[in-house]
Amino acid sequence: MANYKLFTEQSNISPLSRLWRKFRTNHVSLVGLWLFIALTLLAATAPILAPYGINEQHADALLIPPSWHEDGDVRFILGTDDLGRDVLSRLMNGATYTFGLSIVAALVTTLVGVLVGTFAGISRGLRASFLNHLLDITLSIPSLLLAIIIIAILGPGLMNTVWAIIFALLPQFIHSVRNLVVDELSKDYISAFRLDGANHWQILVRGIFPNIYERIVVIFTMALSLAILDIAALGFLKLGAQPPTAEWGAILAENLGLIYLAPWTVALPGILLFLAVLSTNLVGDGLRNVLKERRAD
Amino acid sequence: MMLEFAIRRISLLIFMLFTLSVFTFSLGYLFPGDVLTNFSGIDTAGFSQSAQLRDKYHLDQGYVHQYFAFLGRILQGDWGRSFASGGQVFDHVVTLAPATFELAVYALLVSVVVGVPAGILAALSQGRWLDKFISGATLIGYSLPIFWLALVLIMVFCLQLGLFPMSGRISLLYEIPSTTHFILLDIMIAGFPYGGQAFTDALHHLALPTLVLATYPTTVLVRFTRDSMLNVLEQNYIKTARAKGLSRSQLIIHHALRNALLPVIKQIGLQFSALITLAMITEVIFSWPGIGRWLIDSIYQRDFPAIQGGLLAISVFIIFATIFTELLYTLLDPISRNQAHGKL
Repeated sequence: MANYKLFTEQSNISPLSRLWRKFRTNHVSLVGLWLFIALTLLAATAPILAPYGINEQHADALLIPPSWHEDGDVRFILGTDDLGRDVLSRLMNGATYTFGLSIVAALVTTLVGVLVGTFAGISRGLRASFLNHLLDITLSIPSLLLAIIIIAILGPGLMNTVWAIIFALLPQFIHSVRNLVVDELSKDYISAFRLDGANHWQILVRGIFPNIYERIVVIFTMALSLAILDIAALGFLKLGAQPPTAEWGAILAENLGLIYLAPWTVALPGILLFLAVLSTNLVGDGLRNVLKERRAD
Repeated sequence: MMLEFAIRRISLLIFMLFTLSVFTFSLGYLFPGDVLTNFSGIDTAGFSQSAQLRDKYHLDQGYVHQYFAFLGRILQGDWGRSFASGGQVFDHVVTLAPATFELAVYALLVSVVVGVPAGILAALSQGRWLDKFISGATLIGYSLPIFWLALVLIMVFCLQLGLFPMSGRISLLYEIPSTTHFILLDIMIAGFPYGGQAFTDALHHLALPTLVLATYPTTVLVRFTRDSMLNVLEQNYIKTARAKGLSRSQLIIHHALRNALLPVIKQIGLQFSALITLAMITEVIFSWPGIGRWLIDSIYQRDFPAIQGGLLAISVFIIFATIFTELLYTLLDPISRNQAHGKL
């Protein structure tokens, strides 16, 4: 069956707003986007919004369950832990550490990854072959293992974790960007552009980047969800953030001994982690589907 | 053609192993502390022993010399001594690695058995509720932090319901002589002692770690199979086959499945590396005596010879698994052989 397209009216909507119109129709992705924005805002403003300090202890209120519980206290909406610290405040600040630092790590990875990836994409011959082989090796080692190796060298700690995750995510990112650039370079419009006398720089900036930046955003969301999981996993393994840092994975590990007495101190950080990764994946998946649909139009 | 491809892959393998060995060697210098201690694992060497060790490790000669000495020791199985236990690192690796591989293999089996059919089902019912359900479940499984999933499962199945044990490979009641270090195999070799109870107990111990470990690869396989299947169903040869008047089941079994499952084979092999990494977290939570938990413990204890050995063992295994899958995939898919010339 042939697909007939009848153009009854002239539509000159920009690609970006067409993208947004399509994205808007997918409600699940939209919820993901709102959640993502909310978490980003929380990560930026947590120290101001949080009702108590991260390590502020209330000696009169140890292990108080969440406020909807019979024994709950309305002063501590999500209860307190064994040192009398407000769980809500710690979790809000955790957004800064886990989610905020993941965003920073993913942004740095994007910046470096795009630079190196483009370079790998446009280079030819021995240099390209060497780069590809090197990428092949690092690609076969998963990001968490790579991060663990780097931490074994640098020693445990939150900032070391961030560095480790940036280095661990880079090979995949470079690889994806390189593939995008190579794909785009082989297309006819780039050849035409080159025949018009465009130099490397013009081809990159005017030809390739406007066509791939949306897909780079998709890769960014994938890197971000990996970064969140890795930071939290390393925090949980006590290789990343060390207590009393309010990183979600570290909070989980710290309260592991309370799993019988105070299950909420273990359940809540896990739920937040899940929501953070889920929202990132929803946005990424939604964006990828929309890009595919727009190309099919 | 195939031979040429195999030679290319094997040369890549050698290059990878070379880079890896150089990296592992340089870890001795990258780690904090004394180089001699990092290599040998002996930190209480007296003056005469120290001189002897310096001689053995060729520390007074150039880096190239040291590297070849290092390579020789690795090949002979002399991987230094662990700070923490004082035992040979190589012996630790040999006894611990089977536990990890056992777990990883079972998890991979589960994920293939569940993931591939689920992906096919989702693709065939595209847009309907079954597809939405499978895709939704996959997205959730994909986003769950596995350590948290493990904790929730422990809370429900071990602490509340008491269905499964929380930790270890087998109950301490049973004594199984370890010949292969694969627990199920060992029990079989011992002839199912204790009236087969040891075997069921070992299976019970395996259940939760396998389930936790299988979650991530399953979701990846579902997504990948679904995409691959949908991709194939859009191809022109499927339209042609339909135009010829083939029924839906003929179409799917003879034309779509074969082509769609080819890239899945490659993906299954690639999951091995993710599995080994995630196995580390799973092992820590379930106190599974595998190489991953040992490696993490070594990092806490700053046990450098152990870290070095553990990383080397895991990375070599992952590299071999990757190359092997690629060869297998090329054997099955003739088209991929044409792309052998240095292109990714």
